[in-house]
Amino acid sequence: MTPPSDDRLLLDVRGLTVRFPTPDGVVQAVSDVSFHLSRGETLGVVGESGSGKSVSNLAIMGLLNRNRTAIAGEVLFRGRDLLTLPPDDLRKIRGKEIAMVFQDPFACLHPMYRVGQQIAEAVTAHEHVKKDRAWARAEELLDHVGIPNAKSRARDYPHQFSGGMRQRAMIAMALVHNPAILICDEPTTALDVTVQAQILELIEEVKREFDIGVILVTHDLGVVAETANSVMVMYAGRIMEYGAAGGIFTQPQHPYTWGLLDSMPSVDRRLEALVPIEGAPPSLLNPPSGCPFHPRCPYRFEPCATERPPLDVPAPEAHLDACWLSWDDKVRLGVERAKKVAA
Amino acid sequence: MIFYIARRLVWTIVVVLCVIGITYVVFFKLPAGNPALRFAGKSPTQQELAQIEHRLGLDRPWYIQFGKFAYHFFAGDQYGWPGLGYTYASGSSVKSLIFQRAPRTLELIAGAAVLWLFTGVAIGVISAVRRRTVADRVAMGFALFGISTPVFWLGLMMLYIFWRRLGWAGGAGYVSPATSFTQFFSHMILPWITLAMLYAAFYARMTRNNLLETLGEDYIRTARAKGLTERRVILKHGLRASLTPIVTMFGMDIALLVGGAVITESVFNIQGLGYLAINSALTQDLPIVAGVVLLAAVAVALMNLIVDILYAFLDPRVRYA
Amino acid sequence: MRRYLRFAVMLAAIVALTALAAGCGSSKKSSSSSSSTNSSSSSGGSTANASYDNGSSQKGGTYTVGWEQSFGFTDNLDPTGEYLGNAWAILSNLLVRPLIGYKHLAGAAGNALIGDLATDVPKPTDNGLTYTYHLRSGVKFGPPINRVVTAKDVVYAMNRLADPKDGAEYGFYYSVVKGFDDVVNGKAKTISGITAPNNNTVVVHLTQKTGDFNYRMAMPATAPIPPEVGACFEGKPGNYGRDLISSSSYMIAGSAGKFTSCSALKPFSGYAGADGNHLNLVRNPNYNQSTDPYRKNYPDKFDFVINSNADDIFNKVQAGQYDDEESSPSPKTLRKYGTNANLKKMLQSNVGDRTWYLTMNLTQPPFDDIHVRKAMNYIMDKQALRLAWGGAIQGQIATHIVPPVLYNGGLSEYDPYASPNESGSLQKAQAEMKKSKYSNGTGMCSASACKGVLMIGDTRALDNRMIPVIQAAAKKIGITFTVRQINGAYTTIQTTSKNIPISERPGWGKDYADASTFFNALFTSGAIIPQGNTNYSLVGITPALNTSKKLGVTGDLNNVPSVDKPIAACNAKLGQDRINCWEGVDKTLMTKVVPWVPYLWSNVIKILGPNVTHWNYDQFADDTAYSLVSVKK
Repeated sequence: MTPPSDDRLLLDVRGLTVRFPTPDGVVQAVSDVSFHLSRGETLGVVGESGSGKSVSNLAIMGLLNRNRTAIAGEVLFRGRDLLTLPPDDLRKIRGKEIAMVFQDPFACLHPMYRVGQQIAEAVTAHEHVKKDRAWARAEELLDHVGIPNAKSRARDYPHQFSGGMRQRAMIAMALVHNPAILICDEPTTALDVTVQAQILELIEEVKREFDIGVILVTHDLGVVAETANSVMVMYAGRIMEYGAAGGIFTQPQHPYTWGLLDSMPSVDRRLEALVPIEGAPPSLLNPPSGCPFHPRCPYRFEPCATERPPLDVPAPEAHLDACWLSWDDKVRLGVERAKKVAA
Repeated sequence: MIFYIARRLVWTIVVVLCVIGITYVVFFKLPAGNPALRFAGKSPTQQELAQIEHRLGLDRPWYIQFGKFAYHFFAGDQYGWPGLGYTYASGSSVKSLIFQRAPRTLELIAGAAVLWLFTGVAIGVISAVRRRTVADRVAMGFALFGISTPVFWLGLMMLYIFWRRLGWAGGAGYVSPATSFTQFFSHMILPWITLAMLYAAFYARMTRNNLLETLGEDYIRTARAKGLTERRVILKHGLRASLTPIVTMFGMDIALLVGGAVITESVFNIQGLGYLAINSALTQDLPIVAGVVLLAAVAVALMNLIVDILYAFLDPRVRYA
Repeated sequence: MRRYLRFAVMLAAIVALTALAAGCGSSKKSSSSSSSTNSSSSSGGSTANASYDNGSSQKGGTYTVGWEQSFGFTDNLDPTGEYLGNAWAILSNLLVRPLIGYKHLAGAAGNALIGDLATDVPKPTDNGLTYTYHLRSGVKFGPPINRVVTAKDVVYAMNRLADPKDGAEYGFYYSVVKGFDDVVNGKAKTISGITAPNNNTVVVHLTQKTGDFNYRMAMPATAPIPPEVGACFEGKPGNYGRDLISSSSYMIAGSAGKFTSCSALKPFSGYAGADGNHLNLVRNPNYNQSTDPYRKNYPDKFDFVINSNADDIFNKVQAGQYDDEESSPSPKTLRKYGTNANLKKMLQSNVGDRTWYLTMNLTQPPFDDIHVRKAMNYIMDKQALRLAWGGAIQGQIATHIVPPVLYNGGLSEYDPYASPNESGSLQKAQAEMKKSKYSNGTGMCSASACKGVLMIGDTRALDNRMIPVIQAAAKKIGITFTVRQINGAYTTIQTTSKNIPISERPGWGKDYADASTFFNALFTSGAIIPQGNTNYSLVGITPALNTSKKLGVTGDLNNVPSVDKPIAACNAKLGQDRINCWEGVDKTLMTKVVPWVPYLWSNVIKILGPNVTHWNYDQFADDTAYSLVSVKK
């Protein structure tokens, strides 16, 4: 998908590759990942653990140890390549223009400092502001993300907050400097279902209110279905399918995506219809040759084991996928699948 | 909170009395012979021996002697409060002996503690941050040296190099800071370093390990994601979380040194409490031993209490438990 | 793979380092057999090193003595009960003047009695039962008393000696005074046998002839004590030490002003007690040098300072911060001073009037057989034992009970168990062993009583060196030991009920220059007591004694030899007669009783600092003659 060439484009990632040398060999965590993000867009990044979805975002934020990681590619943010920026410049962007919210808010907040203190710290990290001013801003943000009694709750410690409130606080912390991009890494995984919906709603509100771009990383397609504008499916460090959310859900093109959709429980499907994907994700030390998914793919055929399928558009009305199956096969198999689901 | 402290203080007194009681049992059950013999001359008659025993109170069973000690401690004796009695050897007041020597030991501990805390933690932090580099290996090598080196050898080496050969520091012996502060410092600097070396090494390793563990926590990642400088991340977020076990250790280490810095005191001729206690144990002078043990036990129990309170102060999660 | 390689390298390094360390350790040479010929000549009391003189003795300066670890006073310097030899040197040289005194020189000259507070040394009258002493006039107490010393002050000191509540530790020497024991037993308040007919005369009546009585009146406890101060400390032994009133040339620093009452009297600042770390003496302003022909009193001050680091003491001596030391020089220090031409003269070595010995218990097998005891004397490698002490500089090898200096040189050639180089003679030992009931005629101790015999040793480095020597020698005649090393072994071997067969720990020094101070406490049955016993061999014990004194001794008590009678006979004699008599007792003990294997007559070694200009050895106290030393500063 070529990125729209307008001033609403925030992030343009090209060929991002991340490798970790270890005593046992090189881990190929992310290979050749390209995507883009614009204002007002929510990009859902979906995949199992080990698919490289988190690592890509850490690479973008510059949170990977540069001495021990080989990162290649380009990450263009507002015209500058984040991968080549000196560390201090990158630090000035981090938390200010690009902010990240993590999965387990309990472990992600420092247990010995008050919540308000930690948010105020985020303020003073990038601005010379007096302490009480920063504190006031913290209270303001806590209130904004929907925490009742924000003023007094700001003086509490993280262990005094519930799971949902902690996540709200994390989001508040991320929003301190009105970042252009908000990356949310599994923001709801540690929360229960009702709270999940609230948090997702909050993220959506924030996106609309501040007109920012959101990257939402998750292993749960259901989460993505609610809020994403575009969806990127990752497997073994590579992109399997990438396109507008509507297209991905109504016309999924990749067997892995089919498998994900089939194994996803939802209110309107009977339990017997759930079909798990056979096998386990591959080792990133020695990824399979050819298509990384082929060992588990029920539709694999001759070229899959030896030739890696490129990520491209099989037909003008289709979106990007990386699969050797012909367009006709993809359509046919997709229809068959839809019938099974409906039944 | 007040009630909690009061309860702890009462418990402290009970513990201290038990410790002294055990001291008495050990003293009298250990087969070291009759302390009265030491003061009885070459060929004492039974009569003379009995007289000395009576004078020293040794003719009563150990629990009576202990009871009297406990009573005098609370009620005071002819030397004032607390009543610690008089020594067998010279009839001097144990209280005055201990009060005279305590400042030396306390000064030794204070100086060494400040030194080892700051050095140890600093080295530990540098080591953790520069993990696996030359700096780290050198630091951990130093830690190994500090932990393995016998204190008496280190003390003697320090004296030899820095006093005899180089003349940079004063030699063994103690000068009170009231007499001359420069002299006091020059005589104390070597004992401070000697005593601190062992602990600094421990603390460096502990800090390094704790900090490395802490730096793997998620909230460190959050701190970085906020855009904080690396220094802030490590010192404010990392170190703060790693310090709690170190603070606990610090309190106990200090308390145990009150009667325990014997070797350093001996090598540097500081004539402090530890040295007094050992000498008295060797000459079977029970009142002094009991007095120093009492002081040490109180110090340990008190530091325990302080450290517990401090811990709650440092880690808010503990407060509401 | 890399991990295993790293591990292998580390392992190799550890092995290499261990081998290196072991190699270095095993190549240590045995402690230097000093080439110094300081072993005292066979005529007792070598005066070879008795005095050191650097030309200019002058008044002034401070004589500083580094004292190791702690003073160790037995009664806090209170003269009534103070028994520590090093304390006696201080008391009799500097602080108190008993009726009789010494010249504080080395050898025979140092053992000769002179009149200190008394004008001369009186001969007894009344068939040896009365001693009359005339006091010098013009001898004054120091502050805060400030008045003239009178006969009443001497009488008071003697009464204090008798009162059991005042902590006397050698009161038994004065039992021969009429009425003394009545005070001890609480039957009288004062000693009837001592009177002061006027201010300048003291008369003492004895119950029996006591040839060495004048020696007993030279001991510090008999020196005058002002009753007005003494009364403050009745029943509080040791406390007087901090308020000691001087009758001699120096006093404890801080004694000043006038004495008003007991409650106003505070301890003098110059002495912090036996647990303290300093003893500072200054001149007694009331001292009259014209009353004292013998003390020179050069230094203005004496400082005795405690130092816990022996190394540091000798460093400071060498550097001149200390002038003298109360410590024991390490072999390293001895080597340094012994081999360096400049330092050699600062090392003073003198005969110490002390015998070191192995003691054998006459009631415990296999030492209940005299032939085994004799065989032990033949087989023991005394040369090796002396080497364990540090070699020839430590003294002469002992060949009988009492050091020859106490016989004025007599018995100096007497060596009943001589062997080549004093290393032991297997042939003679086995010949003796054959006669023993424990050997079946083989020349080896083969009975089961000879195996695993309990030996008590102490835990000093010295004992660790001596014990293997003793074991190796005894093994040659078939005796093996179970060694128990105890810290403070004296307590164990002094408890009769423990029935210890043999010990390497003991040594014995004189109290004054008469052999009676050896024989009475070491070999009479009267001296045997259940705790604190010094007749370790139990010479003279009988079953009746065992029961009456509740000694708890096991074994055969029916045939234990006794020397009570010969010792009692010698006690009454005077002069050369007396010395000859003691020599006889010594020979009897060595040949007919054989309670010991004596091996060393130790020297007292002092290392002097460079500022000392004159130094003498005081044979009486076996220490520095403080009243004669001079220092420049």
